[in-house]
Amino acid sequence: MKLASIDYLLLALYFVFVLGIGWLVRRRVVTSEDFLTSHRSVPVWITSLAFIAANLGAQEVIGMCASGAKYGIMTSHFYWIGAVPAMLFVGVFMMPFYYGSRARSVPEYLKLRFDEKTRALNAITFAVMTVFSSGISMYALGLLFQLVLGWSFTASVLLSAAIVLVYTFLGGLTSAIYNEVLQFFLIVLGFAPLAILATTKAGGWSGVAARIPEVMTHSWKHVGNPSQNPMGVEAFSLIAGLGFVLSFGYWCTDFLVVQRAMAADSMSAARRTPLVAAFPKMFMPFVVILPGIAAVALSKMAVGYELPQNYNLVLTTLMAQFYPSGMLGVGLTALMASFMSGMAGNVSAFNTVWTYDIYQSYIHPRAADQHYLLVGRITTVVGVLLSVLTAYLATSFNNIMDMLQLVFSFVNAPLFATFLLGMFWKRATGHGAFTGLLAGTTGAALTHGLTVAEGKGGWIANLHQFPSTMAQNFWLAIVAWTMCFVVTIVVSLATRPKAESELHNLVYGVTDIPHEEVAWWRRPAPLAIIVAVLLIGLNIIFW
Amino acid sequence: MEDLRGPIGLFFLLTGLILVVASFAMPGARAPLTDANVNLYCGLPMLVFGSVMLWLARRAT
Repeated sequence: MKLASIDYLLLALYFVFVLGIGWLVRRRVVTSEDFLTSHRSVPVWITSLAFIAANLGAQEVIGMCASGAKYGIMTSHFYWIGAVPAMLFVGVFMMPFYYGSRARSVPEYLKLRFDEKTRALNAITFAVMTVFSSGISMYALGLLFQLVLGWSFTASVLLSAAIVLVYTFLGGLTSAIYNEVLQFFLIVLGFAPLAILATTKAGGWSGVAARIPEVMTHSWKHVGNPSQNPMGVEAFSLIAGLGFVLSFGYWCTDFLVVQRAMAADSMSAARRTPLVAAFPKMFMPFVVILPGIAAVALSKMAVGYELPQNYNLVLTTLMAQFYPSGMLGVGLTALMASFMSGMAGNVSAFNTVWTYDIYQSYIHPRAADQHYLLVGRITTVVGVLLSVLTAYLATSFNNIMDMLQLVFSFVNAPLFATFLLGMFWKRATGHGAFTGLLAGTTGAALTHGLTVAEGKGGWIANLHQFPSTMAQNFWLAIVAWTMCFVVTIVVSLATRPKAESELHNLVYGVTDIPHEEVAWWRRPAPLAIIVAVLLIGLNIIFW
Repeated sequence: MEDLRGPIGLFFLLTGLILVVASFAMPGARAPLTDANVNLYCGLPMLVFGSVMLWLARRAT
C-alpha cells in the first residue's frame, strides 16, 4: 500500500489536534486528583464515548474485522451479549457504589469494602497487566504498519508512543478522555464508509448472505451444537462464559473502563455513562465486523479481491481496495487513533493505580499532594517506556507474551464474583474475597491444565477435549467464577464481617441510593430498558 | 472548562475540507474496487459534522 502526500497531511493534522487538546487541558491540572481522576468534572456525553473508545484499541478493530471474516455475524456476540448487558448492569446497579464510595480507583474500592490485601492483589495484577497489554498492542500495531506500509517498526512504535506520552503527560486523565472522544468519532467516520462500500459492492446484505456459508449470517441459529458453528461453542458456555463471566468481569470491574465513568461530573452522570455508551456500542459490529464479513463475499466474486491468508490483514487490504488517496489517509489515521485511544486508556489507568494504590499506599504515604502529582507525571513516562520495552520484548519472545496473556486471563476470570458479593452481600469479608480470588485463579489454571483444545492446554492431564480454544476459554471462566463465588461465601461465613457502619456507600442495603429528580429519559432504568429492547431487536434480526 | 466540541468540530471541518478539495483536484482518483468518488462522499459528511459541532460550541458560549 502506497501513501500519497495528502494521506500524510491528514495524519499530521490528526497529530496536531491530539497534541493540541493535551495542550488546551493542561491548565486544568493543579492537583494530583485533576491529573489522575479528572476531579469528577467531565460531562456525560464525553465520558460515555470515552467509555467505549478506551476499549476500542487497534487490536480490537483489526481483530473484530478478522473474526468477522472467520466466524461471520456470530462475532457480534462479543458486543451484543459480551458487552451491552454488562454495561447496563454496571450503570444501573454498580455505579452507585463505585461513585458513591468516593474511591479514586477500583482497587481503592476493594480496600474500602474489604481489606488491604484484596486491594494489593487487585492493584498489582492490574498494573502489571495494563503495561503488558499496552505493549502487546503497540507491538501489533508496529508489525501491521511494517507489513502494510513498509514503515520501520521502531519508527511507528516510538512515534505513536511519544505522542500518547506528550498528551497524557500534559493533561492527565482529562486529556486521555478528551482525545478518546475525538478518536471515537474518527474511528466511526473512518471505518463506517468501508463497511458501506464493501457491502454495497457485494450486493447489500442479501448479496453478502447469498455468497457466504449460511452459518456466517446467523448469530444464534447454530449455537445449539458446537460442531455446527464456526466458533465451536455451545449456547450455555456462550451465554454463561462470554455473556456473564467474561463480559461482566471486564465491563463491571476493569478500572480502564470504570475510570471513565468515575470521572463523570455527578452520580447521575456516572450511572448514565455506560448506559449512553451502550447505544453506539451495540451498533459497532456494523462498523468493525461487517467489513470482514463482506470481504468473504467479495473474495467469492470475480472482482479481483482475495482474502489474505492472515486474517489480521483483512481490514487494511479492504482499505486499499476501496479508499483512494485522501480517504486512505483518514482510514489509516483512524487505525492510529484506535491504537492511541487504547494505549492512553491503559496509561491513564496504570497511573492512577500505581500512584494511589501502590505508591501512596505502600511506598510513601502522607506526602503533600504536589508530590503525588509529580509521581503521577513520572509514572506516565515510566508507563510508556515500559510499554515500549514490552513491545520490543514481544518481537523476540512471542511465546512468553502468549503465556502472559493466558495467565492474565486466569487472574481476571474470577473478578466479577468478588465484586458481585462485595456490593450485594454485606456479610462478605476481606478474607473471603482474597481467598476466593486465589481459588478462582487456581480453578482457571487447573481447567486449562486438565483440558485440551486445538492442541492448547492439557499440561497436567487430558481429561476433556474442547472443540475450540474459545469454548475452552469460556468454560475456564465459568469454573473460575464459580470457584471464587463458592469459596468467598464459605470463607466469609467462617470469618468476622465488617460492622455495618463501615459499609455505608459500599454495599447494597446499607446505602441510600439518591432518588434522582431528573427527566425520565435521564434516569438509569428507562435508559437501560430502551437499550435492552433495541438489543433484543438486533438479535432477532440477525438470529 | 474548555468545550471539546470546538476542537472536534474544527478537526472534522478541516479533514472534510481537505477531502472535498482533493475530490475536485483529482477528479479521476478512484480506488480499485469502486467507481464512487469516495473522497467527496466521505468528505461532505465530515464537513457537515464538523460544522454542526462548531455551531453547537459557539451557541453554548
